[in-house]
Amino acid sequence: MADAEVDVRNPSGLHARPAATFVRAAAGFAADVTFSNLSRDPSRSASAKSVLGVMGLAVARGHRIRIVANGPDADEAVAHLAELVASGLGEEVDIE
Amino acid sequence: MTRELRGTPAAPGVAVAAPWLHRPAVTGAPARLSLFDASAAAVAEISALATLLRDRGREAEAEIMDAQSLMAQDPALHEAADQLVADGTRPADAIVQAGEAVAASFEAIGDEILAARAADVRDVAARIARVMTGVAAPRLERRSVVVAADLPPSVTVELDRALLAGIALEGGSRTSHAAILSRSLGIPAVVGVAGLCDAVPTVMELGIDGDAGIAYLDPDAETAARLAAASAAAGERARADAAFAAGVLATNDGHRVICAANIGEPTEAEAAFAAGAEAIGLFRTEFAFAGRSTAPDEATQAAAYAQVLRAAHGAEVVFRLADIGGDKPIAYLPIEPEANPFLGLRAIRLAARHPELLPTQLHAILRASADVGARASIMAPMVADEEDLALVLRLVEDACAAVPDAAGPRVGIMIEVPSAVLLADRLAPRIDFISIGTNDLTQYLLAADRSNAALAARQDPLHPAVLRAIGQVVEAVRGTTRCTVAVCGEMAGDPAGAQLLVGLGVDELSMEPRAFGAVKRAVGTRSMPDLVALARTAQHMRSAAEVRRAVEAAA
Repeated sequence: MADAEVDVRNPSGLHARPAATFVRAAAGFAADVTFSNLSRDPSRSASAKSVLGVMGLAVARGHRIRIVANGPDADEAVAHLAELVASGLGEEVDIE
Repeated sequence: MTRELRGTPAAPGVAVAAPWLHRPAVTGAPARLSLFDASAAAVAEISALATLLRDRGREAEAEIMDAQSLMAQDPALHEAADQLVADGTRPADAIVQAGEAVAASFEAIGDEILAARAADVRDVAARIARVMTGVAAPRLERRSVVVAADLPPSVTVELDRALLAGIALEGGSRTSHAAILSRSLGIPAVVGVAGLCDAVPTVMELGIDGDAGIAYLDPDAETAARLAAASAAAGERARADAAFAAGVLATNDGHRVICAANIGEPTEAEAAFAAGAEAIGLFRTEFAFAGRSTAPDEATQAAAYAQVLRAAHGAEVVFRLADIGGDKPIAYLPIEPEANPFLGLRAIRLAARHPELLPTQLHAILRASADVGARASIMAPMVADEEDLALVLRLVEDACAAVPDAAGPRVGIMIEVPSAVLLADRLAPRIDFISIGTNDLTQYLLAADRSNAALAARQDPLHPAVLRAIGQVVEAVRGTTRCTVAVCGEMAGDPAGAQLLVGLGVDELSMEPRAFGAVKRAVGTRSMPDLVALARTAQHMRSAAEVRRAVEAAA
């Protein structure tokens, strides 16, 4: 198992386009990847490969998420996805 | 015999055509395709729509289709549907129910943006069910008024514009997706027409009046003739107005006034600029606070505000701080019942009672301003005197210190309280702009409740007293070096009102975008000296009715 916590800096959070970018990236790994929104309800988690699951966690700008992966490429998946979120998922964000 | 069903006006105009009933989800029909194959076919349809929208330059709607395409392939949605099938549900019903469960969970979270996505989830699930049962995509065969309980986003996009005469919905509101789209496309629409869907299957012809909010079932010859005449007259007026809509707001001798838009939802900004707005002169922010169980946090508000600043591409956006009061109760902001909410604890008067409300909103506006890299304009409503203004200036200063990376905002006030008119020369030198809210100013000056229909005749802002009040504010502003004056009440979008306001010397008129053409035409056919003289004479007349007659006679 691998996990990481990362802050979301996208202006609209993980709503439409950034959620889609995240889900497409997660689908590229064999590992089971789930994530939860620590700033809203840490007990709820969703599959990172489900755009509805990702949107349903209502991640807004400034929220912290936790990514957890289980499976053959778990370490790689978590590292890649955490980096992707930190860099703004293709959107312009101010990185502190 | 004509039957009339009353609803709510949603988009102006009149249409008479055959009704075309849009039925949402198929229920109980046998499946011809597996869930997997039906989803793949639905994705192909959605991608084709996205391409079509991109080709027409409608990028925002294309992105919604991209998101729908991913939803249609969502493993969580498929698993939920498979589970329902295993429990004995028919496959087409299972996908609809699975989508409904997701949509309901989105709506339950209390996040405005997410709740708006619920319609997309239902839309996608209905499409998969339709493909699964072998039903073709909805298509208009002839000129039609489209009837539905509510119209999902993709269907509104898919319908052939050339055959779409009007839209009549049993549900929905003025701010529902279909209503906003109808207004931006110029298609007449009525919403909230109870009993419509049940009545329509036996109706041959359906007339709608989008200004009055009425649906006519099988209109008789007389009603049809009246609607046709109204449609022809409206069409002629619209054509004459349209010739002016894209031009500048100016008198025929070249005196220019800024043409700005009033909006109440972030999604309306893009259409406002497309319609020719030079600025957003009034962005009502109450949408962010209504229909929720908890107060919206800074990030949620900032995301919505940033959407408008982005659509503005550097043009001015005036954010009016939340004008919340006892007339529209909000669950998480308890306000004790008041006998006169319009004279009560509202807007900035709530600052002491709810100390987080305004700072959070100010931080969100400045946060959005910093994120987008655009300067915001902040307007405080209900400012009555210098003490109120001092409070506003202090709150803005604190917010600027808390969000140092935002450009310093323009700061202004809305003048609607008569005391602020009398004190305008004391207030104007300390701010960047004033915007006059003529709706409330009229009701306060004439002591005539806006919500009391029996007093309607006393609520006309063309009243000489209102014109004098506006003249007094303009004079106070002229005595300063930087302060500008706008009008953002309905008077600005009324061609007669707009002519008087230009004559009184206001710098900006802010109105509903659909009024642009009519206002530009009315002002554009007059000279500045004529309008100045007209406004001066009007201030000495006896009644609003006399003023209105004089403006119309002079045209």
